[in-house]
Formats: sequence, C-alpha cells, structure tokens
Amino acid sequence: MKPLDVIDAGVVPYAEALTWQRALAQARIDGRQPHDVLLLLEHPPVVTLGRTSHAAHVLRSDDIDVVEVERGGDVTFHGPGQLVGYPILDLSGYRQDLHWYLRTLEQALIEALGILGIAAERNAGYTGVWTRGKKIASLGVHVKQWVTWHGFALNVTTDLSQFDRIVPCGIPNVEMTSIARERGAGSGEQLWRESVDAVVQGFSGVFRVEPILKDGPNNALRLGAVLDRAQA
Amino acid sequence: MATKVHMEALSPTMEEGRLVKWTKREGDAVKTGDTLAEVETDKAVMELVARADGQLVNVLVQEGSTVPVGDVVAWIGAPGEKVDGGEPAAPAPKGERSAVSGARETPAKEAPAAKPPPPAVPAADARVKASPLAKRMAKDAGVDLKLVQGSGPGGRVVKRDVESAPAAPAAEVPRTAHRAPRTPSDGAAYEDVPLTQIRKTIAKRLATSLGPVPHFFLTIEADMERAAEARDALNQQLGDDGKVSFNDIVIKAVAGALRRHRACNAWFRDDHIRYWNDVHIGMAVAVEDGLITPVIRNADMKTLAEIGADAKELAGRARNRRLKPEEYTGATFSVSNLGMFDIDDFTAVINPPEAGIVAIGSIVAKAVPDGERVVVRRRMRVTMSCDHRVIDGATGAAFLKTLKQMLENPLAML
Repeated sequence: MKPLDVIDAGVVPYAEALTWQRALAQARIDGRQPHDVLLLLEHPPVVTLGRTSHAAHVLRSDDIDVVEVERGGDVTFHGPGQLVGYPILDLSGYRQDLHWYLRTLEQALIEALGILGIAAERNAGYTGVWTRGKKIASLGVHVKQWVTWHGFALNVTTDLSQFDRIVPCGIPNVEMTSIARERGAGSGEQLWRESVDAVVQGFSGVFRVEPILKDGPNNALRLGAVLDRAQA
Repeated sequence: MATKVHMEALSPTMEEGRLVKWTKREGDAVKTGDTLAEVETDKAVMELVARADGQLVNVLVQEGSTVPVGDVVAWIGAPGEKVDGGEPAAPAPKGERSAVSGARETPAKEAPAAKPPPPAVPAADARVKASPLAKRMAKDAGVDLKLVQGSGPGGRVVKRDVESAPAAPAAEVPRTAHRAPRTPSDGAAYEDVPLTQIRKTIAKRLATSLGPVPHFFLTIEADMERAAEARDALNQQLGDDGKVSFNDIVIKAVAGALRRHRACNAWFRDDHIRYWNDVHIGMAVAVEDGLITPVIRNADMKTLAEIGADAKELAGRARNRRLKPEEYTGATFSVSNLGMFDIDDFTAVINPPEAGIVAIGSIVAKAVPDGERVVVRRRMRVTMSCDHRVIDGATGAAFLKTLKQMLENPLAML
C-alpha cells in the first residue's frame, strides 16, 4: 500500500493553509514530496468562492473574510467545528479521472460517517455528502498535472447558522447539518477526535493507502519538515 | 510552427468542459508546463498546461464557455509568429480526443496559416455547427438545430443551447445515457484497442449500408408449431449425426420464398439492379470479435439435411477463421438469427449489395386466439430489412407472406 502522510494541523488561517497546499502540490508535481499527503485542519470563520461562484450567493459578508480561490464549486463557509481535509494526491498513482476522484472522496466520507453511526449518501448531480436530505460535507477540488489540492469540509460541531450567510454551493434551500446534530449527544472534543479518526480510516480504506499519522506536538514538526522539503 | 491547445478530458466520462479562467493572455510568453487556463467539470477544476514553448496566440474561447473535449481552444506559436487561421470549433481527430497527457502535436501536421480564418458568424444556410453531444441531444429531443442560437465558440451549438431550446413534448433525455461505460477495476484512465482487421471490415461495410442504403422494415409473426413437429420427426429419422435446427428450416423457407419472389433476390448496383436466378443465402455467424456471413449456395435446391450439414460445417470453420473468400461472398440475400439469445425481434443491417435481410427472433410460447378459444402456440417474429431502391413495401410484404406460409406448412418445403 502507498504511504499517506496525515497531518492533523489544528486551527490554521485559510490563506496560510492555501500557501501550504500550493507548496505541497508543486513539490508533489516536481517529485520533491515523495508521498501523498492528507492535511486535516480547522479554519477560523471564512467564506470562500470557488471558480463557478455567483456573487449573489454571498448574502452577508460584513463581518467575515471572503476569499476567492481556484477550487471548483460555488461558495462555501469554513469555521470552527468543521473538519477540513486537503488531500494532496498524485492521481497518476490512482486514476486520471476527476469524476472518479470526486466520487471516491465522497465514498471516503460516507465510510467515515458510517463508522460514526451516520448513514450518509450521495445526491446525484449534487457533489457532496448528504444524510437524510441534508448536506453534511462539501467538496471542491483543484488539479494540476493530476496532483490534487483543496478537498472537503465536513461539519462536526459547526455552528450551522453561519451557513445562513451564503447559498451553500449555490443550491437554494439546501439545509446543512453536522455530525453533532445527527448524533444528538456527546462532548465536542470527544466527537472531534472520533471524527478525525473516522475520516482517516475511511480515507485510507477507500483510497487503499497506509496512513502515517503523527499527533500531538509532533504535528508542527512534521508539517515543518514536509514544508521544508516542499519549498527546498 | 504552432501547437494547438485542446480542451482536455479530465475524466473518461467528461464530454465537455467549462473554461472558467484564462491564466495567460493572448501574446503572453509561455513555457512547457505553464498553466494556461482552468477548466471545470463537476466540482473539480483542472489546470490546462502548455505542452510547448512559445507565445499564446489565437485564443479562440472566452472565459465561461463550455467546450467539447478535444476542441482547440488556443494556439501556441513561436515568439512573434502570427497564426491567422486555426479551427475554432473543429473537433480533434478521434485518436487525439482523450489524450489527456497527450503528446505535443507534430509540427509537420500543422499548417495553421493555410487554413481559412474562422467565420465570425455562421452563415444562415451553412451547415449547423454543433457539438456531437448537442447533436445527439437535439436528435433525441426532437429539436431542430437550425433554429437554435449557438453560444459556443464560433456560434457552435452546445449542450446548454439544446437544453434551453423548446423541446418536443416527449423530450426527456436521461443524462446518464450519454456516459461512456467504465470498467470499474481498471486502473488506467482509458484503453485504446486498435481495430482488428475484421472490425475494420465490419465498420467499413456496415457504414456503407445503414447510411447510404435507405432501409425500411417489415415484421411478421409465424406460427412454428408445425415446424417444430416436422423438425422433431426429421431429427428422429436422421439420428444423431445430421440434426436439423430451426435456423436450417428458416434458411430453407427463405430460399424457397425467394425462388417465388425474385424481386427480393437482388443486388443494387450503381446503375442497375441485378436479379439473381440462383438463391445463395448468407448466414450471419458470430465469431470472436465480430461476425461473418458464410454462404449456403443454391439453398433453395438443397434438402433440409443438406442445409443443416452445410450450415454446421461453414459455421464451424467461420469460428476458426478457416473460410475461403469465395465461401463468404456472393450471397443474394441474408439471414440473421438472434433467437438463441432470447431476442424476440430485431432489425438487421443489410449487407450491400444485397437488397434484403431477415432478422429472426426467438421462438416464444404465446397465447393466441384460435376461433373462440385462446391457445398457447410457439411463435417466431421475423423482421425483414429492405433496400427501398430495390424492394417496395408491397413487394417485401408479399415475400414475407410466402415465407410465413412456408414456415407454417413445412411439409410443403420437404
């Protein structure tokens, strides 16, 4: 099995995480980063606009950063309690097929939610992961020379009222939900831990990779090493 | 020597992509590997990367346009080079279509300057420019492409134009119908299988048929009870060696009917119709990776047992590729039978220059009225494809009526 560097990076401002992703992706393209990487993190509140965003889908932006980025998709919200995953994968090692990649990413999250006891599914024509008609995770990816960045955002304990700022993913009347809301119980911190584990497990199973996971203070060191390599 | 920049396939299931952003402008210097533009499908954005050094010239597609995979979106020319021509909307040759990591174009093939500049607006009476997807959708939906305003490059009609066009009432086109099948376990993005000689021949021959040959189709249902009885009786008499199949009975009946309807036993030649006096029946045989039609000569003169022996022997050698050319050419009419695959009825493609072919379905037990009662009978559906340049409706119908009579009264054939 291919090794996958899993970096649980904690809370990272959006712009900074974007710099990391671009550096890692370029290093992967150039062959300086030998493994695929899964960046897991949380962003301070931010609204991002994908390449096919409609300005009208941002309803309130007075008190929040709005960033335009190169990923596919429409507008979305990131904030505390949302588990964001940025896989930096060289798809030549899997399949050179972006539709396959999106569907497999969805499957990884469906498996992860299954581990957490939530029955999730796809909604044909609406990329993302859904449960009981509500959207629980959003996807938007970018690829250069078959190396991916950007990825998914899974609501764990997200303040769902934040999505009222936008028309999420440009789908009117979509109702968002979170793992906390679906499960109805459990402490936030415990749930976050479980969710990270489930996502790593779901992702490794579906993409058939061997996660190399470091937690605790090693994260920062590890990320530093990865980025040093990427920027070298 | 300019290089084309194509809309690339981001997925084997992608037919068109939306060019969301040009990251280089016309006139910008570009190096191999530089990102030229971003293309989106679904919720994925992919960078379109330069595959040559030079200068971005002749940007043919605006941001936000949807472009079929394989179409040229721009050119990369030598610094200072002026590329006047370019094909704004011509799809690339099929071989290049799905070439994601496609090689750089060979300069020898490029002669952009020699090509006429693209017309700004398609002339009113010109052939309608449309993407293959749009054409297919329009056909399925009953939309007249001439009435659709194209919003693609060069006024080309693309998918969204057809979608927003007023459609015929029953125009529900399922999206999934347009997706190419995908092999689930295959790791590669796609597989190119070169045409084998037999597939090339099939492609060439059938394309000279259904397109140019004006087909029409006639279907009849024959009662096969007596044919089944006759077959059982005959097989008992013949013993194990020379079993007669339903297909043999059909070939015999077709040959007998053709003997009485010479108008259907004919070839269409460019300036004449050749009516054959002998009856030679081509019998479609499925072989690995294709089909071939060995010929049972003078089938009308042969007994059922002789036809059975010929058919068995020829089909066996056809499957082993041991037929001589004279054994699969010269048929005056053909029979195609998919009854063994549980096909109830179907239409077959005429094998030119022959003027007709019958498609034989499976024998199915059916409830049929018999006077005041309903009885269960074994029935078989036969569909004749006719070349209208040779056979008219009534001519074909008369032949089928005779064929039905012969199938229903097999003793008359023996």
